[in-house]
Amino acid sequence: MGRVEGGAGADPESWAAGLHRMWQAAQDAEDITDMARHVYALMLAERDVVAVTGSRWEGRSLRYVRRLTAGDGSAATTTPPAGSVRTVPARLPAQDGAEAGDRAPVRLFAYDLAADDAAFAPEAALLAEAGARWALEARFALGGDDWAAFSLGVSRRQDAGSALPGRLLQLGEVLVAGNRRVLEHRAAERRRVEEAFLAEASLQMDASLDERETLERIARLAVPAVAEACVVHLCRPGGRLSPVASVHVAAAVQPWLRGVAADDPWLGEALRAAARRPEGTLITGEALGASAFGPRSEGPGREVRAVTISPLRARGKLLGTLTFVYHRPERDIVDLRVQDDLARRAALAIDTTSAYEQRRRNAEQLQRHLLPGKLPDWPGAELTAAYEVADDSLEVGGDFYDAVVRRDGGLALFVGDVCGRGAEAAALAGLARHTLRVLLEDKVPPGEALRRLNSVLTGQQTARFVTAFVAVLTPDGDGHTVEAASAGHPRPLLRRADGRVEEVRASGLLLGIVPETLYEPRTAVLEPGDALVMFTDGLSEARSADGTMFESLLPEAVRECCAGDGDAAAGLIARAAAFRALGDDDTAVLVARVAGGIVEETQ
Amino acid sequence: MTHLPRTPRTPQTGEAAEAPEPAAPGRRPAPDRILVVEDSPEDAEAIERALRRTHPDLVLEFTARGQGLAADLLSREELPGLILLDLNMPGTDGHTVLEQIRSHPELGAVTVVVFTSSTAPAEVDACFAAGADSYVYKPVNFALFQTVLKGAVDYWRQAGSGAGSGAASVK
Repeated sequence: MGRVEGGAGADPESWAAGLHRMWQAAQDAEDITDMARHVYALMLAERDVVAVTGSRWEGRSLRYVRRLTAGDGSAATTTPPAGSVRTVPARLPAQDGAEAGDRAPVRLFAYDLAADDAAFAPEAALLAEAGARWALEARFALGGDDWAAFSLGVSRRQDAGSALPGRLLQLGEVLVAGNRRVLEHRAAERRRVEEAFLAEASLQMDASLDERETLERIARLAVPAVAEACVVHLCRPGGRLSPVASVHVAAAVQPWLRGVAADDPWLGEALRAAARRPEGTLITGEALGASAFGPRSEGPGREVRAVTISPLRARGKLLGTLTFVYHRPERDIVDLRVQDDLARRAALAIDTTSAYEQRRRNAEQLQRHLLPGKLPDWPGAELTAAYEVADDSLEVGGDFYDAVVRRDGGLALFVGDVCGRGAEAAALAGLARHTLRVLLEDKVPPGEALRRLNSVLTGQQTARFVTAFVAVLTPDGDGHTVEAASAGHPRPLLRRADGRVEEVRASGLLLGIVPETLYEPRTAVLEPGDALVMFTDGLSEARSADGTMFESLLPEAVRECCAGDGDAAAGLIARAAAFRALGDDDTAVLVARVAGGIVEETQ
Repeated sequence: MTHLPRTPRTPQTGEAAEAPEPAAPGRRPAPDRILVVEDSPEDAEAIERALRRTHPDLVLEFTARGQGLAADLLSREELPGLILLDLNMPGTDGHTVLEQIRSHPELGAVTVVVFTSSTAPAEVDACFAAGADSYVYKPVNFALFQTVLKGAVDYWRQAGSGAGSGAASVK
């Protein structure tokens, strides 16, 4: 057999050194199989040991068995097809609830290989074949269904004074401790992955305020980090669940997945059932059999091992479901609590996004109501207007403008600005606009209209002030007489047909501060081809990076933008926008260009 | 082009000393060979470290440039089963490389996995339209990076080796 009687291993000091090597190997092992080499070498050096075996089991089913005999160079491993070699129930390591002695981490058994013992197959035959007469087995649980046995085939029966059983027990305990370290290491690694995934998912949720895009990004991040496919459904009016994102690791499978997500009855029912539960649902095995994910489906071209569905719930409200489809083995499926955690975070992000979207829509709608839908057609002048919102914030701006044809046939124009932004500014702008409209339509002159608006606003008891400029155009010969009044508003510009630009020198106190303020009217004459340019301070106070105000360039810009047939108001806004580096005020521009005349081109 | 083979190519024997013939259309690539197209040395190193841990048996090859890659593949004796393609590279970028590879039916069986740091839906759609088989997000955290790569490689290796029990084929 080539074995040396009384080998070095029999020496207690050599045994201690070997055991120390084992401990070191246990610290680096990725799996206890990595430690087998050391274990076999150490035990084969022991007196009387003819052969050693290591077997690894999943429940009653043998995963592999290895044998190494003294003098052999390498171990011979047999890996039978799963489930083909099974052991007796009695051999399974004790579960929780067993007698205290049975729950010891490592248990030793002795066998007479001459007797046929079913509880020691297939090792009994392997050891006997190698020349052993007796055997010692160390059996230990490794977690879940996983367990292993390490056995020695010996040439003579071990008596009470023999060191071998004690040494086998020591080795078994090193293996168990090494395995515990491996399991802890794996669990820690898995937690690190889960935490990193949730952190990255949170970042993705901040990447966009668009609900669908946010969900597509999350689904994309999760595949294949969590599963091979991910589908997100959202609740629609009437409680229907409608798919918004479908991602599969294989591009070619995505259309199939989209179809299943949209109208597969089995999935629809599973989603509804899962949505009613507080936690996620795991569906595996036979429960998938009849579904689109089952083996008889024309499905994804790959076996589906599991499906998980987590409800998307935020602030007590069900928003939808988050579904994962797994082709990977069950042991690689992350804990359902990760999917649930992701679902909770995603639901909060969706809820915030839809709240934002609703507010944005409200602001947009409110802003639209502050401005005229269409300017009136008035035969004496061509009107253009433009409005630029300073930023994408949810606050409504306080700029307003309008044009109204008076009962006497004249045209009233006005532009104004409530200081600040938000709901109150918008409400005041709405009040000012409609008050001026009604008064001006009713032939009230500009100064009187501002006086009455001031009375209304001072009665509102608001801390906000309002500026406004009103002009009424009355046909006079080929041109128009202009009567104008201003309440603290930036002075409009008159662009003459020949290119000259003048200020309309109307002035007066801001509105909403001092009751009973009077507004003195000014008059001017608009000849054919002249243009009256009204604007809010967002235009004149736009600043370049070096602090220059657009006001200094305004006359030139007005001269150029009002030449020709272009949209003068839009032209001015565009120039200010290109110029602006600082300042975030809204901008409104209203231009009335008198028909006829020869407008001098200044290009 | 500059190849930085981290693993020597399989030694050629006998007749293989002759000039390599163009790859035959539809020829099955080697599922255990992966070509990584990645210009960032840090990312290339991370990919190698991750795959060495999760799939020690894989044969990895790295290149930092996409230029001429399709032509190089066409002249090869053995095609990689999977190409891991970075999108943002100087010179010929990932989108162009993808288009060039997919313009050759002879390379149709090679799986192309786009591995990139964007999750923008428009980017994903563009890659799928150009013929990418997978679009995989490249996470910052290494543990997650390794998990994601393992997921993608496991999926496509199984496809390449013909495993799986479903009726339809994914490739």
